[in-house]
Amino acid sequence: MTETTVTPERPLVVEEGESKAGFIGQNIPRKEDKRLVQGEGVFFDDVKRHEMGFVHFVRSPYAHARIKSVDVSKALELDGVYGTLTGDEVAILTDPFFELSTPPGANIKDYALAVGRVRHVGDPVAAVVARTRELACDATELVEVEYEPLPHVLDGEESLKDEVVLHEEAGSNTVWSGVFDWGDFDAAVEDADHVVRIERLHFDRFSSTPLECSGCLVEFNRGTGQWTIHGTHQMPGVGAIWMAPALRVGIDKLRFISQDIGGGFGNKITLHPQYTACCLLARKLNRPVQWTEWRTDQHTANTHGNERTFLDVTVPVKADGTMLGFSVRAIDDCGAFPRYEPLGCIIWAQVTPGCYRWRNVRVDFTQVCTNKSPVAPNRGYSRMQHLWLTERIVDIVAGELGLDPIEVRKKNYVKHEEFPYETPNGCIYDSGDYARCLDIALELIGYDSLEEKRRDAESRGKVFGIGIGSTLDSGTNNFGQSMILNPELQFSGNNEVATAKLDIFGEVVVTLGTVPQGQGHETTTAQVVADILGCTPDEINVRAGHDTYWNSNAGLSGTYASQFAVTGLGAVKGAADKLADEMKQLAAAVFGCGPDDIELVASQARIKGNPEAALPFMALGAILNANNAGLPPELDVTLNVRYVFRPQFEKPDLERKFGNLTLTYATQIHACAVEIDPETGVYEIVDYAAVDDCGNRIHPQIVEGQVHGATAQALGAATHEIFTYDEEGNLLTPNFYDYHVPHALDMPPMKTGYIESTSPFTPLGAKGMGEGGGAGIHAVCAALQNALGKKGEGPIVWRSCNPYEGVWDLLQKPEETRKLVSVETR
Amino acid sequence: MLLREVEYARPASVQEALRLLGSHEGARALAGGQTLINVMKARAASPDVLVDLADIGELRGIELASDGTVTIGAMTTYTDIVDSAEARARPILGEVCKQIADVQVRNRGTVGGNVCSNDPTNHLPPLLVAVGATMTILGQGGERSVPASEFFLGVYMTAAGPGELLTKISVPPGKGDGFASVPIGRDGTCIVNVAASLDSGAPTLAIGCVDAVPVVLTPDSAAEETVRVAVRGANLDPPSDVHASADYRRHLAEVLALRAVAQAAGRT
Amino acid sequence: MEAVSSRTITVEVNGVQYEREVEARRLLIHFIRDDLNLTGSHIGCDTGNCGACSVLIDGVLVKSCMMLAVQADGAKIETVEGLASDGELNGLQQAFSDHHALQCGYCTPGMLMSATALLRENASPSEEEIRKGIQGNICRCTGYVNIVEAIKAAAQ
Repeated sequence: MTETTVTPERPLVVEEGESKAGFIGQNIPRKEDKRLVQGEGVFFDDVKRHEMGFVHFVRSPYAHARIKSVDVSKALELDGVYGTLTGDEVAILTDPFFELSTPPGANIKDYALAVGRVRHVGDPVAAVVARTRELACDATELVEVEYEPLPHVLDGEESLKDEVVLHEEAGSNTVWSGVFDWGDFDAAVEDADHVVRIERLHFDRFSSTPLECSGCLVEFNRGTGQWTIHGTHQMPGVGAIWMAPALRVGIDKLRFISQDIGGGFGNKITLHPQYTACCLLARKLNRPVQWTEWRTDQHTANTHGNERTFLDVTVPVKADGTMLGFSVRAIDDCGAFPRYEPLGCIIWAQVTPGCYRWRNVRVDFTQVCTNKSPVAPNRGYSRMQHLWLTERIVDIVAGELGLDPIEVRKKNYVKHEEFPYETPNGCIYDSGDYARCLDIALELIGYDSLEEKRRDAESRGKVFGIGIGSTLDSGTNNFGQSMILNPELQFSGNNEVATAKLDIFGEVVVTLGTVPQGQGHETTTAQVVADILGCTPDEINVRAGHDTYWNSNAGLSGTYASQFAVTGLGAVKGAADKLADEMKQLAAAVFGCGPDDIELVASQARIKGNPEAALPFMALGAILNANNAGLPPELDVTLNVRYVFRPQFEKPDLERKFGNLTLTYATQIHACAVEIDPETGVYEIVDYAAVDDCGNRIHPQIVEGQVHGATAQALGAATHEIFTYDEEGNLLTPNFYDYHVPHALDMPPMKTGYIESTSPFTPLGAKGMGEGGGAGIHAVCAALQNALGKKGEGPIVWRSCNPYEGVWDLLQKPEETRKLVSVETR
Repeated sequence: MLLREVEYARPASVQEALRLLGSHEGARALAGGQTLINVMKARAASPDVLVDLADIGELRGIELASDGTVTIGAMTTYTDIVDSAEARARPILGEVCKQIADVQVRNRGTVGGNVCSNDPTNHLPPLLVAVGATMTILGQGGERSVPASEFFLGVYMTAAGPGELLTKISVPPGKGDGFASVPIGRDGTCIVNVAASLDSGAPTLAIGCVDAVPVVLTPDSAAEETVRVAVRGANLDPPSDVHASADYRRHLAEVLALRAVAQAAGRT
Repeated sequence: MEAVSSRTITVEVNGVQYEREVEARRLLIHFIRDDLNLTGSHIGCDTGNCGACSVLIDGVLVKSCMMLAVQADGAKIETVEGLASDGELNGLQQAFSDHHALQCGYCTPGMLMSATALLRENASPSEEEIRKGIQGNICRCTGYVNIVEAIKAAAQ
């Protein structure tokens, strides 16, 4: 990669939402930066406690085995070892974690340590706590575990046969299974001029591997029975819902604290097993215990993104390229324990037809366990896998029928004038303009000079291709979708909390229910509050991080599902509005006028049209808190407010599996150019354009940062990042030596563009966009397909990850993948 | 993930280092640590004693003799080579060292460490074989020279045995060299690499990553078909791993051999 | 001399002298973070690939997870905590903030040390040279785009 990155100095903005004066929409300096660039952030491993012990887990070397015995006696003899924990103790002291699925998945017994059996290489079997990190490692080598290896299963389709069953109590590897059927797919096939069939597509296993590994420092207060967990949990409310019943305590006994977290991307949501083990240890040993996950453990045991196989894809198409829908049989491999699953079995339905106006969709979806690492809601969770399917469908259909993939997209995209658009299963796409985003992407990548680029590449002996990836980032979940999977679940809607207060010296202090891992929540919060209170972001103190003691969280609080700009900032706006209201009421009481006569400007509350009559914030704070004699008795203000934002959702229609599952839909349309060395299969991404539409952007620079980062992760997943297992169930890419993520030299030149299609459904017209939909993966696959294929000939790109040898195979044996596709013309 | 207990010494002279290496059976020399520390973290190997060579000045330095021979101390880092005017007598050395990993690794990793660890995916073993380097080994029995083609014996095994030290590497001058590789990502671990030299007339090829030690070929000429036949005739039996199958490595070896030879031919 | 399993070492970190007894097996990064309580430098991997632990030893950029603390005996170490003076960010730190070159901030200390080493050696690096200079530092949040911009800006 030798070209200079060409990002226009100001990103290409075609259409902005209605702009108002104020801090929203500006790139103010990030509040988080000052401490982070000085190395003064507080990540959990930075927190020290006197006499703390360090935890190291004994982990299974087998993919599947019975545990015959665990002997910790030799470990306990080692000087400096404080204690141990085994599965037997866990089974006595705790109840299994709450399962989300219906039977048989409901019957899975999941504990903090393996009980009776290990089910994947790396499954924690015992824990040792010692005075130093090194001693803890030494001591685990002295723990003697006797295993009786069992047959194992490493493939989703194989697992369906239930020949090797992971969870005896469930009796089957199927976690969940169901059929989704909307529109009239059979009639669509009847109506079609062509039916394109794709036998098999496979979305590979990878994860966003945050740079900071997971971990926690746990203290137990014996007097109150309170645990304090300094950690990395992205959704502490849900963590507590799992942990509290397991530990047989009330929710309030678990206090979660985090200040800075080094990336999460969904991989720090299902930490409850390890956290529970640490809680037990802290209580048992009466000392703080600290666990820092090793990189190898993160890759082997915690966690992967969903791996999904798509079989028998059937696509009815009209002669003019209009696609009528599709049907598919999907098998989702969730690894050894479901945990947050089976939610992935419905979450894809937020984007059932992808970006397209397809009305007839049938999905036969089954999720199974295998003896591999458990999965978690990795960035793009379940939508990315499904959107990849829709994009492969579009490219393959276009390729087979000799149609231009750009034209086919535009023909089938939901049209700008159709928004808000209801999908076949009742989801409402709020706003967007996909065709326009595509045009911008094509312009940024120089699509007009496509042929010239192709000739130039060929003159250097390379094969050239361009591809498009169109995706949506659906954000703000309606948890009622979980009831479609399991009607017994009592989860629906969503919420987020924020508090705001005006202190005695006039300081505004805000606390958040969200758990940021780099998304700049402190900064965008300050922008929103400053605009409402009529002051500057510098005057807004946003407490760094998250602490459940602050009472600014609810059961579903956290940072996930691309929702901060909607739920987090919705809560912030609500709290700020409430505080502003109270400030006006107080000022009105002091001035003897009505609250409507008061405005908040320049950090003061003053009478409109009479700037002399002004109370600075400090005065308001002082009066209410320390100098309040004489205030009218009916004045009901505290200047300390808590607000719960609740997006408007209904419970879905469980029988039709129909309803609005997410509030917002951001658009990502990416274009990618590749050059392949036909002698080796080695390829380079030589140009890249990413166009994003997330409605009103609160802080455009932060939005752009998310686009860059999501793209880099997607490009890694497209080229090298894959969790591959050997026949014994050992993960072959357990560290960054073998699992190659993009480094600085690996990145292509990247151009970005933006439009703003305001969301009609959100308090600020903004949409969440932090996940992206994996557009980079789809675009690279499309570019490779474009380079290698010709109408009805050539290989088919059927996997999401295409390393050099994969491309080499496609070049060498095109007939092997060609046979995956057939076209029936009527 | 962390080291087992180990004893550590930092001698000031080669003699002292040899004494320490000789007096403890489980002793290993510690050079840049870019391989050994990782190996010890994983507990894949746990020497009882580490003999740190950092203070031994006579193991460092790059000298250019009047006949153009470049002599490189074993503790010379990759960065030292990249920055060295003397090493430019054989330009391929700096060019290849610059492709190794990243700045941090190049600042600490040493030429001696790279060849003595003899990881099959390393850059320097095939390169030094192709350019006809000579290794100087010092042991209790004195000093001896071993040509690079005889230095690499097996996976992680070289002619520098227990209790011995590689002290320097001598490289004859020359420019007719080529190096071609397919790494995993830019400057990443090599899937296959090939070093070629035409300096002695007929080509010398050394193929890395396909066997425990570099596979050396000496085809009769640099003509494409001749090189191709030589590579095929070598009946390479490369390993399969997560990065490449045996077939793919075999194929890459052929393609990269041709490219390395072409590069060398372009500079002769 | 004899080999020992622990020894007392003296290091200077950001201009401050420290003397500590340390096990021979202790990694330099753990010494810096746990023994000296300088938690700005981070750990992101097991195999020396991520660079989050990057520091300067006698002016040379290294990954401190691939060195033993005892190897640093007598050395002058520079970590991220030494970049600002009295809370005033230096030009590079300010450029990182201005250009949004950090999101979660976990790779940032190592990235700053790599950039510091680069700019000391090469006051106006090209884009390729910048990327080469930070090739040993993994970032999962930013895609490196703004990091490169920030270093370019700081170089001017």
